[in-house]
Amino acid sequence: MKDRILKTLQDLRAYALNKGYEVTLAYHEEDSYLMRFANSAISLNTNEHLIRLEVTAYDDRKRASYEMITDLGKVDEMKKAIDSAAELVVHAQPLNYQPTIPTFSETFIDESGYDATLAQISNKERLDYFNQASAGLETDDIKLSGIFANGSTTLAQINTRSEHTQYFKTSDAQVSVVISHATLKWEVQAEQSAWRKADLKAASLHSDLAFLVERYKNDAPQQLALGSYDIVFGSAATADMVNFMNYIGFNGGLMKRGYSFLSEEKVGQRVFSDKFSLSDDARSLDTFPFKRDFMGKVRGDHPLFARGVFQGYVWSQDDADEFATQSTSHTVPHKSLVVAGGDKDVRTLRDLVSMPHDKDILYIPFLHYMNIVNPTKGLITASSRFGALLIKKDGSVVVPYNVRITQSLLDVFGEKVAWLSQATEAYNTSASYGARNPSSIVVPAFLCVRDLEISHSNSSY
Amino acid sequence: MLNEIQKQIERIKAKGATYVDSRWYPFENTNFLMMLNGNLKTTAMAGESGIGIRVLYKGAWGFSASSDVSTLPALFDKAFDNARIAAERVTFPVRLAEKDIIEAKFESPCQINPFDVPLAEKVAFLKEMDDKLNQPGVFQRLSSLAFVRKQIVFVDSEGSHIEKLITEVFAGMEVDGQDSQGGQQERKFKLGRVGDSRGWESIDRQLFQENADRIVKELNQVLVADDCPKEDRSVILLPGIMYLQTHETIGHALELDRILGYELAFAGGSFVTLNDFGKLQYGSPKLTARADATIVNSPGSFGFDDDGVPAQNKILIDKGLLVGAITGRQMVEEANAKARKSIFSGSGGANRATSFYRVPIERMTNINIDPGQDGTLDDIVKNTEKGIILDGDRSWSIGSNREQFHFGEEIGWLVDDGKVTRVVKNSTHKGDTVKFWNSLSAVGDQTTWKVGFVDNCGKGQPNQVMQLGHGIPVCRFDNVRIGE
Repeated sequence: MKDRILKTLQDLRAYALNKGYEVTLAYHEEDSYLMRFANSAISLNTNEHLIRLEVTAYDDRKRASYEMITDLGKVDEMKKAIDSAAELVVHAQPLNYQPTIPTFSETFIDESGYDATLAQISNKERLDYFNQASAGLETDDIKLSGIFANGSTTLAQINTRSEHTQYFKTSDAQVSVVISHATLKWEVQAEQSAWRKADLKAASLHSDLAFLVERYKNDAPQQLALGSYDIVFGSAATADMVNFMNYIGFNGGLMKRGYSFLSEEKVGQRVFSDKFSLSDDARSLDTFPFKRDFMGKVRGDHPLFARGVFQGYVWSQDDADEFATQSTSHTVPHKSLVVAGGDKDVRTLRDLVSMPHDKDILYIPFLHYMNIVNPTKGLITASSRFGALLIKKDGSVVVPYNVRITQSLLDVFGEKVAWLSQATEAYNTSASYGARNPSSIVVPAFLCVRDLEISHSNSSY
Repeated sequence: MLNEIQKQIERIKAKGATYVDSRWYPFENTNFLMMLNGNLKTTAMAGESGIGIRVLYKGAWGFSASSDVSTLPALFDKAFDNARIAAERVTFPVRLAEKDIIEAKFESPCQINPFDVPLAEKVAFLKEMDDKLNQPGVFQRLSSLAFVRKQIVFVDSEGSHIEKLITEVFAGMEVDGQDSQGGQQERKFKLGRVGDSRGWESIDRQLFQENADRIVKELNQVLVADDCPKEDRSVILLPGIMYLQTHETIGHALELDRILGYELAFAGGSFVTLNDFGKLQYGSPKLTARADATIVNSPGSFGFDDDGVPAQNKILIDKGLLVGAITGRQMVEEANAKARKSIFSGSGGANRATSFYRVPIERMTNINIDPGQDGTLDDIVKNTEKGIILDGDRSWSIGSNREQFHFGEEIGWLVDDGKVTRVVKNSTHKGDTVKFWNSLSAVGDQTTWKVGFVDNCGKGQPNQVMQLGHGIPVCRFDNVRIGE
């Protein structure tokens, strides 16, 4: 199939050259499967096989694109798409900067993140996995929900500036198992991200869920008093906040547009705790990486914050062109964000609950519906969800109703950081809006932050 | 093609499926243009076609979709196989509420097909707006146009055959500025319903020009304003934020699939239970809300949903009392069975999919608040002792059961002793949903009622973005926390 895809792109390039067009061609193919559970049943079992072709035409400073959902056999249709893009660009308006057109200096093929056994996992295997992960946890009132989403994504690119191609193929799985009470409305969750089948471990999810269900089933939930808490964030919550930093923190284009809580003079300065290091590390297969960006630039380990010191903004090619700076190999659909682990030897929730601590700890595994309140202050807001616990210093555990935090990322990752776990894990951040684009962020399993305020405390679920 | 689809539906029925439907999109075209600071950043067209097949077998759904319609038998078989494995884990076998067999066509109102309008004309419009927005105080300006035109052919095993031609137009402008503390501030205008059709004719130059001046002026007021105080006040929500309040804390909370737990893996549930219908005082007696898919010219008016059920006008909240939900065929049957009484009399016609390759789920139609008897905005302000007028969505975050919320706005005007005193920046308000709606103390009259469009409502797994509308008056709520 790879040869056929690349041959088709070569043929399309020849067609464009023959017509005198300046174009880039991006081929995207997805084979997507999703088994969804609700109320302890499979509520939906779906698959989609879709091929997209995006043509971007250039005419000096003008740029226009045409995207289609198509099929490899429909070469004539694809040629029409090239014609359409070329026609569009005629009527486009020139940019006030010169857009850089990619020129691949060599052909690059990367299938290192593809595992056919994961991409083609069967319906029966998906169901078996869920049955294992939830074994013994369901009752007439306690129900299973969740998804098992897996598939493969193929991206291939060519342009009229060079005959070389780029080809990326990945497999991915995102599993989320939710156990909830139908009438009491509590809900707990365990998740897994995988790029290969060997990463799928239903027993691990079952262990986490069983631990949480035991507490939620037997403890009466309590409304927490407003005020400051030592909060331990789970990997989902941490990854979500890091993902927001990706937009309003170190993105050069957004900084220039006024959407950053950092500023250019902060480069080289310590802005976060010295316990916090974040990089864009395309070597990590757990992040479904692009080892070349879409301009053909090599991507490796790119430090963003080293021991709290801001290393600099990242620039996509278009932003770099507009703001007259150098791009930083970040013209990619997603980055490969990796937060370094810390020094705390805590791997599981059971470890966290049993470890000694001098103050009560509010454990928030997941933050629901995060949004930006004020980008220039790094202020975000979100509510806890999916299994929060108040771990008392005497070792007892209280189940709290959900709470809201409205905090600056500068505080969450700043001097208030008490510790990060040594253990890290990949948290799957894929959204299935539009074309398949598997992504995940590697974060410490646990991040402890001292004295964070909760701004709202629910009196029920 | 139609004959082949019907043949395949019959074949799958013969294999034991209790229901089969297909949505064939002969075409779906989109056109998006975005100008940022004078730069035409995006000039994009897209075209797609394909088919989605839904099969119900032994009480379980299977779905399959492809852009390649040359392999229809294999596609139908795949959907059937997906249903067959799903049938291995069924707790409440899917049943579909009765509906009429329908042979019909629907076309959304459109005088000028935006795809017939030359690109140069669209670019010229954006340039004109960009020039208009390019005024002192504006750090960044953005204007955009989005057009969709799609044909959907629905066929099911019960004998319905419905063809729809839908045209959508979305447009907006935004100006950003930096306040004296270097903080980002913004003011937006989004095109809502103007007139009875939404083709290119709804791109009303004068309307955009007037609003360009207004948002620039208001942005400049915000840039020099003090921060919103952190205290309790009455909040007077203009339609530019009231639509979002309604969307997030009535609309999503009353989607029946959420209430029944079908969205717990992602979007969340609802604080509403089946026992609440007919009992829960959701809001004050001034609140009447409805799901009205019959109003003329809105993305939430689509003729027939993707179950093949006609669009309807259903009351959700009647003078404060919860009486209805946003429903499709499957969920009303399950809800009635679980409640052991008939809460819902048939599907509300609100099951929709965003594309041929997504499965229909309960989606908002036009979730509207009826206009009230409390006069104009001026009348409401005059009758407010200590309040704040809020407008413009800047931030929104809602609890997973829609039980509480936190919204941020682009602009606030403090009201003291019946008079607007000054503009404030960084305005927010928050609250608990039921308590908040029960604090509704004034509802503006018809002069304050506007239909706004939403083009980006997200829900479901796989994720789906849906278009809909909200008909909303100015509303006032008392004792609300602001400024956090």
